[in-house]
Amino acid sequence: MIDLGDPFWLFVLLTAPAAAAVLALIPFTEVSHAVARTGAVLAFVAAAVLLATGGSGRWGPYLGLDPLSEVFLLMVTGVYATSIWYSRGYLQHVRRPFLTPQVYYALLSAFAFSMIAVLVVTDLGLMWIGVEATTVASALLIVLERRPASVEAAWRYTLVASAGLTIALFALLLLYISTGTLDGFALAANPPAATLPVEMAVALALVGYGTKVGLFPMHTWLPDAHSEAPSPVSGMFSGVLLPTALYAFLRVYRVLPSPAPAVITDLMLAFGIVTALVAAFLIQRQRSFKRLLAYSSMEVMGLAVIGIAIGGVALYGALILLVAHAFAKSAAFYCGGNVLRATGTNRIDEVRNLRATMPATGLAWVLSAAAVTGAPPFGTFLGELLIVVGALAVGEVWVAGVVVVAILVAFLGVNSQIGGMVFGEAAPDARPLADAADTGWGFAYLNVGVALAIGVAALPYLSSALRAAAMLLGGSLP
Amino acid sequence: MDGSAEVLALVGVGILLTALYLQAESFVDPLIRGIAVQSLLLAVLLGWLAWTTRSVDLAILAGLAVAVRAGLIPYVLRRQIRAFRWRMRELHAAHRVTGHALAAVALAIIAWFVFQQTLASIFPQPGAALPFVLLVEGLLMLATRSNTIVQVIGYLEEENAVVYAGALFAQGFPLFVEVVVFLDVLGVVLVAVILSIQRDVTGTPEEAALEELAG
Repeated sequence: MIDLGDPFWLFVLLTAPAAAAVLALIPFTEVSHAVARTGAVLAFVAAAVLLATGGSGRWGPYLGLDPLSEVFLLMVTGVYATSIWYSRGYLQHVRRPFLTPQVYYALLSAFAFSMIAVLVVTDLGLMWIGVEATTVASALLIVLERRPASVEAAWRYTLVASAGLTIALFALLLLYISTGTLDGFALAANPPAATLPVEMAVALALVGYGTKVGLFPMHTWLPDAHSEAPSPVSGMFSGVLLPTALYAFLRVYRVLPSPAPAVITDLMLAFGIVTALVAAFLIQRQRSFKRLLAYSSMEVMGLAVIGIAIGGVALYGALILLVAHAFAKSAAFYCGGNVLRATGTNRIDEVRNLRATMPATGLAWVLSAAAVTGAPPFGTFLGELLIVVGALAVGEVWVAGVVVVAILVAFLGVNSQIGGMVFGEAAPDARPLADAADTGWGFAYLNVGVALAIGVAALPYLSSALRAAAMLLGGSLP
Repeated sequence: MDGSAEVLALVGVGILLTALYLQAESFVDPLIRGIAVQSLLLAVLLGWLAWTTRSVDLAILAGLAVAVRAGLIPYVLRRQIRAFRWRMRELHAAHRVTGHALAAVALAIIAWFVFQQTLASIFPQPGAALPFVLLVEGLLMLATRSNTIVQVIGYLEEENAVVYAGALFAQGFPLFVEVVVFLDVLGVVLVAVILSIQRDVTGTPEEAALEELAG
């Protein structure tokens, strides 16, 4: 692998959110807004340039990029940028916030920085520190609105995620004992033999990082944290935090020789199938629209793990699904934030007739709900279709059947409930809407547009990088 | 078994006994003392390994275990207890500790057996199964207890298991000291910040008392 000749954009990618995290603390709210927004946009531009120029390679002993990390970087920085820009309007509605806007922006930027760090380091130990840092940076963001339930959610998130990551650290210890190194790029280039300790390391990494991915039964923190966090933060949790944790697992998974041992892929299939099915059926009984979206994210993570386990074209589909879902789900959470601001409730049965009362947000929400659940022609549809086709191609008919069931159940559950909120008739005693809440929907349309463009292959650099990333992981292309 | 191996095995058994004691206790103050003792035993083990291998990293870890795990974190936790007397006993788990203790012993035996069947040939060190048993015990505590302070203790036990395993098997593990420092910082943040927020916002120590988050 070549060295990165000009690390300028990598430098920008790392320093922009880090500097924003520090400078956002300047005690002038307008300056803080501007600094946070500038940092996020710079990080996104840097990620886009690195993706477009294909600047893969290593920079020093600990930093490196390849198509897989570049795809994830674009996803993380894209959602980070729109979440930061959406935050301004959202913060204005929060009464008695636990954090000042300065601290909020500093923590959100630090949260993004820690995710970016996970994606640009080559050392699996540093990667683990980055994933753990995401917990530290984001836990306090959950309690922004100072509700007892949000404190519990922050607590559960910190404790469960950290406990899971301790298991991931055990996995890295086993891997180091077996191979003598934690250089993920070097191990992927020269995979060690699939001995029992190496397989155990990968299995433990699946459980450990899987806790943060939201795999059943380690998912208990996910619905609480997603539903109690402010909507821009929920968008980042669902859209990019879960895939970032999955990326950390993928780097450990890559040390296995290809094809991966059946015991590992079977374990992944088991976790993926159970997660997708449990989440799809739990969606049906949700009363809070933010929890509804949280379980939908869990279902998508289950599908992605199934696609990775199957490999081939299904792996390519899993990557497309992750990227398209990140943008679509963040859009859905922005819409949810607008509804919450306007109605003061997150209960599905208390919100109706948004098509008339909040037409811009209502339409964006219907579109984003369709996008997150894999409606054509969004990128999620393409990704899910490829996972099903990939399963059929390797003769896993029953897996394909289970995937189709999970997709259909989740689709019906999410779209019927959100459809009811948008198109249902309002009750006579419906809550009056707050003024000026129907704002910030432009970011929702923007992200739904990205999910759509992925589906119709209108993003040439991203499409080619996705293909390269799939090949890197041992996948194949349609 | 040589003298060094005997020391490691003896201290390891002491750590295991503290883990079993923690499972059987419902009063919070003795639980805090218990995790402090476990951390001190871990520090003794790290110090012994540092001495026998002349490892500066392990000596640093031993000092950290005494200062943070056996000192600072238990001190902060006990301050929480003194300020809020109702935190003295775990309310909802009090009647279940017998079951916890039995489950803890059963899990310890199962974890030991699984280790012997799978990894014993790769890790021939004396007491090599103990860190794995300790990890399982920490997870059990996290999964079965509802009091926030007791959950912190379960998490600390898990961290102790990782440090124990790293010191025993993976000397030279890159960034190990940094990782442990990071875990310690996280532990302090957990205890000092979130418990304070909980006190201010909810005024209750029991997660189960907050019933809004079903699911």
